[in-house]
Order: sequence, then structure tokens, then C-alpha cells
Amino acid sequence: MSQVFHDIEKKIISSLKENSKQSPESLEKSTNLSPDQIRRGIEWLKLKDLAIVNESKTSLISLGKNGLESIEKGLPERQLLNSLKNGPKKLSDLQKQLGPVFGPAMGLARKNNWVKADSDSISLNNEPAEIPAEKIIKQIGKEKIPKEKIDASELSVLLKRPDFVIEDIVKTKEITLSDSAKTLELSDSSGAIDVEAKVPQVFVARTHPLKDTIDEIREIFVTLGFSEINGNMTQSSFWNFDALFTPQDHPARELQDTFYLDGISAKKIATPEQIRKVSDSHKKNWRYQWDINEARKMVLRTHTTCVTIKHLAETKPDEARVFSLGRVFRNEKVSYKHLVEFNQIEGVVVGKNATLRDLMGIQREFYKRIGITKIKFWPTFFPYTEPSLQTMVYNERLGKWVELFGMGIFRPEVTKPLGITKPVLAWGGGIERIAMLKYGLDDVREFYNNNLNWLRSASKCQ
Amino acid sequence: MPVVELSYSRLQKLIGKSSKKQISDSLPFLGLDIESEDKDLVRIEYSPNRPDYSTDFGIALGMQGLLGIKTGAIKLKIKKSKQYSINVKSDVAKIRPFVTGIVAKNGKIDDKTIKQLMAMQEDLHFGIGRKRKKSSIGIHDLDKISFPLTYSTTSRNDKFIPLNSEKELTITQILESTDVGKDYGQILGNSSKMPIITDSKNQTVSFPPIINAAVTTVTTKTKNLFVEVTGINKADAEDMLSVVATILQSAGFSLEEVKISGSKNSTPKLESKKMTVSTTLVNQILGLNLNSSKIISCLKKSRLDASLKGKDILCIIPAYRFDIFGPMDLVEEVALGYGIQNLEPALSPSQTIGQTNHVSQNLKFLSQVMVGLGYLEALNSSLTSKRVLYEMTNRNSSKIISVRDSKSQEHTILRDSILPGLLENLSKNIHESYPQKIFETGSVFSEGNPIDEKISFSGISAHQDANFTEIKSVLQSGLKTGFDLEIQTKTTSHPTFEDGRCASVLVNNKTIGIIGEINSQIIENYKIRVPVVGFEISLSDSILKSV
Repeated sequence: MSQVFHDIEKKIISSLKENSKQSPESLEKSTNLSPDQIRRGIEWLKLKDLAIVNESKTSLISLGKNGLESIEKGLPERQLLNSLKNGPKKLSDLQKQLGPVFGPAMGLARKNNWVKADSDSISLNNEPAEIPAEKIIKQIGKEKIPKEKIDASELSVLLKRPDFVIEDIVKTKEITLSDSAKTLELSDSSGAIDVEAKVPQVFVARTHPLKDTIDEIREIFVTLGFSEINGNMTQSSFWNFDALFTPQDHPARELQDTFYLDGISAKKIATPEQIRKVSDSHKKNWRYQWDINEARKMVLRTHTTCVTIKHLAETKPDEARVFSLGRVFRNEKVSYKHLVEFNQIEGVVVGKNATLRDLMGIQREFYKRIGITKIKFWPTFFPYTEPSLQTMVYNERLGKWVELFGMGIFRPEVTKPLGITKPVLAWGGGIERIAMLKYGLDDVREFYNNNLNWLRSASKCQ
Repeated sequence: MPVVELSYSRLQKLIGKSSKKQISDSLPFLGLDIESEDKDLVRIEYSPNRPDYSTDFGIALGMQGLLGIKTGAIKLKIKKSKQYSINVKSDVAKIRPFVTGIVAKNGKIDDKTIKQLMAMQEDLHFGIGRKRKKSSIGIHDLDKISFPLTYSTTSRNDKFIPLNSEKELTITQILESTDVGKDYGQILGNSSKMPIITDSKNQTVSFPPIINAAVTTVTTKTKNLFVEVTGINKADAEDMLSVVATILQSAGFSLEEVKISGSKNSTPKLESKKMTVSTTLVNQILGLNLNSSKIISCLKKSRLDASLKGKDILCIIPAYRFDIFGPMDLVEEVALGYGIQNLEPALSPSQTIGQTNHVSQNLKFLSQVMVGLGYLEALNSSLTSKRVLYEMTNRNSSKIISVRDSKSQEHTILRDSILPGLLENLSKNIHESYPQKIFETGSVFSEGNPIDEKISFSGISAHQDANFTEIKSVLQSGLKTGFDLEIQTKTTSHPTFEDGRCASVLVNNKTIGIIGEINSQIIENYKIRVPVVGFEISLSDSILKSV
């Protein structure tokens, strides 16, 4: 099948078939196309490997202001010699006659012994026939001549004299047809376009890649029978820590790990019964003076578990599958692996027959659905679950096991004071880590940079 | 998580019959994460609830159990003795009321052992000691001390030569000029009386919880140790002592009692506690069907003692395992002894029907509508800075909600608006091709009861021909398709927008937001070279729930 060409391309190819080496300027003349059309046409042909563009630099020499003047008047030194033809002259008269060029002319004439100077008068000594500089000026005339056509050593002398000759470096292009183009048959079918040509990039508008991962995870848990609950990002320390059996002097509660809202305390944090029972559990098990003012301090939630536990304390279900998903905060230095604010999913199963193996099964199913099949479980520790496990998943790209979700069964010290009587399986973890696997990122900050180039082009790799 | 550094070869010697691979494969199943390995050296992260894992001696005890080399509880053998005693004076009651202690004799102390003991001490101070506030340890060369000791208080002018010093310092100097004094001095407050342990020759032994005296420094020549623990709570101090005693015994020392008396103090017993767990609970929680003898053997592998008592299992829990609060902790011990790798995940069918929250459902639909209108979705932090939120956009900053001690200057206050963040985004993208159209939905915060959180929705468009009509069309169509809402606009003014090109957005005569052309000075502040138009509206519950 013969290739389809644009009219511009056809004209250029035909012209080059007749005259195999041409500059863009000569193609303009031979094809009657505009400079812009020629430029585009050459570019297209080059992309298709049909045209070869040889770019070269040429130095062109032309006469400057003084050089042009010398054509009529002669070089300053010739003017000097001419005016001495009729006998010696006074220095001051010569100066007047020749003006500013007298100095350099006199210098040259004396250096070459063309003149003799006795006290005040200058006389002709030996008149030269043709000075090399005169030859060059004659040769150039009013044209632009390639540098290599002029005697190099003489030219270099003349180049040093002010404004006699000008050197221009010009880029020239020479277009030739490639071997494959030389045998091309140009079809005359009109109206056809080049459907194989490259086209410009257009940008899609799209939802944020991280949001896509969040939505995907949400869908998975909904299909596994879980319902979504949500709650505030600002929480009292009571629900973020105390209700989860984290003692008030626990390191995680310190300013350097948790964001406390400056000067803001909650007046009403929970029911009097909840407060009494939770504080009793702390006093009995951790042996310290529990302080309600500490529990009132408002924090940016450090996990979404506070939303879940509040929900369970309110509803006290016998059976439930719920999850919450949203932003959590840690007072960390921002780096390629840490953000101060990130997304977490956190889910629970409540049921009298809920077991640790079920909890592991839900994790395995979840990971399978997001495309991770190589997983294992290790024991770990969380203040509010017992037993506690963490999932390790194999990252093919890094070639190592990385930690993903943590999980466990809520401790009786957590559930009992809040009136929750059935076992509660709980798990949770960061979503950005999963999204990083999906988008092949090594720097978690990329999700929040809002770099349009990335947002416009990010594509899933898993 | 605390980290302990140890060597495989030393660990192998302590554990007995085991290969390096066996150990490194099994570490995670004790709950220990290998952080890094370098030939024989290994750095291990352990959980703060297991302070006994702060030394290789403790890890070896756990590993012996898991590998079945030695199982069952570690019993402390403490020889009764009248030779060592501490008398507590009542003046310590107000400042650091409790002291406890033990003597450990005839041990071999090499450099590595000293290093392990020092690291253990640091970790105990930091973790269960709560940076020495709750309880702290002093380890001394027994043979440099003349018993009986006295725990009492002294004045800030009292002098002694502290550890790592060559000259006598007063207590005030220690608190003001040494690192430990500066770090931990605040535990003692501004009391004029300072706690002090002195011996029968009135020589200072220790200034708890700050520093020991130089005279009792432990070296590789030391044979016999004296350990004291002081604290604000007797039980916590004895818990800490139980860890140290267990480690020293397993390091080869023979323990001897230290009599403690006076001011509500008494000699520590470091006794095991008893607790029962039912086989039903174990099997119900783990989803297994283990018989009682299997459960007993699992518990023994977790270095507890267990025996059948009626239908239940009676456990003997050594004093150093104070992380065990109740039967659920014992269930975990069974799981660890059973081996987490042997637990097969199970997927029980769901009895419930899952449901997305209507708010996230509606927001997702709104995103799709905006994408349809050619807008790219952006995401910004809700914790941002005064510069982005107020200074760049001329907004009033009188009601900011800030967080304390943020480690990042760019994340210090909660946003009350999304639009400034979007403008900031555009300013970082001035080299990308136009038109640039972005939107974001997310929480914004304002004061009230104690904090109000609302969902806000903002979009901006930047290009050469951006104008009010364009952005109003977008918002109008977006809200019509997204929520079946009709909007009106009413002239207003706003510091972020150009006068005469700015309007309130109303739905059913209620203002829900703002729309207009961004003030040219602000666009210039951001070095954006094209006109920008935008809007921000509040998506109240009534809007989000209406669909």
C-alpha cells in the first residue's frame, strides 16, 4: 500500500527528486510554498525517515563601513601614498587632508618603508603596486563570500582593522531525500490524510490517583459486607487514646508525636458512665492518677480507630462489620516516606464467633483483591489489641517484605468499660503505602504535590 | 519501637542447639522485627510491652521456648539474706517514696555483657520508667558499698563524685552542668530536699533518678552487683526490678535478697502470679480446636507454666511478665507458642450487607461530574500554613486553629478554606500548559463546640480567557447535575476576589459560598500570568444527604 502524503510533503519530495540537494530557501522557490510550510513539511518527512537534513555552519565575509569606503577612495595608506605622488608634504597638511585615518595609514607606510620622514616633511620612498588588502577588498566587493575562498593570512590581518570586513556565521540546511524516499511512488489520491502520523498530546481531566485507590479499597470492603462510617478528624484525647487503653503518660501521647489543638479542650467528651468506667480501667491496670483534663485535650486523630470505637460504644452491636476511612495525623518530619497527614482505613468485625483466623482471612482476601498475593503474618504489639498481628507483603519492585496493615482483637480492657460484650476484630493501615505500590512511587509526597504534569499523566502500574 | 543490637554468635551460645538461620527465621515469630543485619550483628526492634527483650539474655529465654529447647517459666532463685538492707526515711515520701533492690553475685562481666546491661537500663528508663519519672535503676559494684544503706533526702549543697566525673560536685552543680542532670532534673521539681542513697560509712551510693556515685562504677573486674530501683509507685518499681533480676539470673548471677524497710517500703517478693484461662476461650478466639494438653505445651513454649485445673488451665506467670493483664493475654501466649505461621487464615461468610456512606458516595459522584466538566482533582493537606491560607490571599486570620509544636512549618494550622490551597497549586505549575482547571473537596474547620468540621468544595480555572461567566456556568452545571440544585448569585465583595467580579452563591436564598474572578494582585503574588476564576461552597449535611 502506498503511503499517504500531505500536499506539502508531495511538493517537497517532487522538487528534491529533480534537484537532490536543496536549502529550505531554494525549496521555497521551487515549490512555491511558504517558509512555514517548508519548515513543517521537512519536519514531517524527517520523522518518517524520508528526508535527511544536514545542518552546517558557513562563515561569510562581507565589507564593513570602512571597507566599502575604500572601494571608492582606496585604503587609507593608498590615499596617503597618492597624495605624496606630487612631491613631499608637510605632516600637518597630511593630517588635515586625511583626517582620522592618517595615523594608521602613516604607521603602515613607515613600517613597509613606503615613505620617508625628515623632520617636518614626508616624502614617497617606494610605491607598492597592489597591497594584499586591496586585492581582498576588490575580491569581496559588495558580495558575501565564503571565508575559505579568501587568502586566510591576509584576511586575518584585515579582520584586525576596524570595520573593514565583517564575518557572519550562517547556519545552512541542506535537504536530501533518504534512500527509501528516492524510490517512492507518490499517489495522487486527494482528500486522504496521513493516519499514521503522530498527533499532539491532549490531557484528560481525571480524579486524583490516590482518590482512585481509596475508592477501590472502599469498594472492596463494601463487597466483603462492610458498611462505611465516618467521624471527625478533630477528636478528644478520650476517644483517640483513653478509650483505647493508652495510658496518659504513654509516649505516643506526647506533643512530639501527636498534634494537639492549641488551647482547645472539649467540654463534653463522653457519658459520665463511659468516663467513669474507662478511667477505672486505667487506674486499676496502669496504676496512676487518671486526669480528666488530659482526656479533654483536643487532638488531630492519630488513627481512625477513634471513630470505630466511638461507633461501637454508641451502638454496642452483637454483630457488625463496619469500616472508616479518612485522614489521620502524626507530628512527623515530612520526608519521602512520612507525611504529617495521610489516609487510613480501619475496619472491625463484631460477632460472638469472630476469630483471629477470620481476621487473617479478611486480610488475605483484601490483599488478593488489590493484587497482592504474597503475604504473611507476624506477631506484634498494639496497646489496644490482644492478640496483635501485622501483615507483611512482598514488594516485587523492592525485592523485600514490607509491613502493611496492623490488626488484632480489641482488649477486654477496651471493650468492657464501653459495654461492648462480643469479640471485636480490628485492623487498619495507611492507604498511601498501597497507592505507592500501585503507581510505582518511591516518594509519598508526590500524592499531595499536585504537580499537574504528574496528575495529567499518572497511570496505574499494577 | 525500641531497638536492641546483638550478635548472632553470642545469641547462639545463650540459646544452645540452634543455627543462625533458625534464629533469624524465628525472631519475627517472637514479635521481634529485624531492622538490619550486618554479618554477625543484628539490630532488632522489640515491642515496648516486653522490656525483657531489651537484652540478648531475655531474647535467648524467649527463643529457647519457641524452639522447644527449654520451656516453662523462668523461676527466680533468690537467696534469703540478712546481710543487705536499705532503711527508708520518711522524708523521701513527698519526692520519690519507694526504693527496692537486689544483690547479684558471682557473675562474669565482659564488655559485651556491660553493653547489654547498659542498653537494658536505658530502654527500661525510657519505656516502663517513662523517662525515669515512674521508676529508675542504679547498678553498682556491690563490693564498694558498706551495708546497711539509707534512702533519705539531702540538701542541694551536698557533694559527691558522680559517675564519669573526677571531682566532687554539689547536687545543684550536677543538675545544672551534667547532661543527665539537665535531662532529668525536672523530675525532682524545685524541692530543696533531694533523694539520696548513702551507705553505712555515709558515702553516697546514688542520687536517684539522676546518677550513681563514681565509686560504685561497674567494670569488667566487677564480680558482684547491687541493683536499686527507685520510683513513685511501689508496684512499678518492683516490676522493673523483676526484669533486671530475671536478666541477671539468666546472665549467670546468683541472686540475694535485699531487705527494705521504713516509710511504707518493704522487701520485694518478685513472686509469680496465677491466672486461669479456659480452653473454650482459647479456641473461640483463635478459631482452633486445641485440646488442653496442646494449649499447655504452647503456653510452656511461651515460657509460662501451665497445668490443667478442672476444665480450665492454670498458668503461673513470672513477675517480669507484667504485660499479662488477663486471659486474653494468655490467649496470645498460646498463639505465639502455637506459632503464628501455623495459623491458617479462614474466611467466614459475611452475615451483613455492605454499604457505602452516603457522604462519600455523593462526593464521588460530584468528582465524576467535575471531571466531566474538564477539571482535574487535586488533594491538599488540611493542616496547612498561615502563609498559604491567609497572607497570600488577603484573608482575615483572626480565628485560626493551630496545632502545638509542629515539626513542619508548612503544617501548623487547620484550613478553614480550600481555595487558597488550589491557588498555591497553580503557582507551582506555571510552567505547565494552560488551561489549568482543578477542584478539590474536603474538610474545613472552624471554632465551635469545640470544632466544626464541614465539607467544602472548590474549583478554579486559569487561562487567558478565564472569566466570571465561565466559572458560574461550571458551578451551575456541576451542582445541577450533582445535587439537582439551582444557584443564584448576588453581588458581594471578598478580599480574595476582584471588586465588581465577585458574588455570593445562594441556594434557596441561603448563602452557601462565593464565586468570582481572583483579585489581580493575588494572582500577581502567586506569579501566575493568566486570569484565574474560582468558587468555593460549603456542602452542608442537608445538601449531601439530599440525594
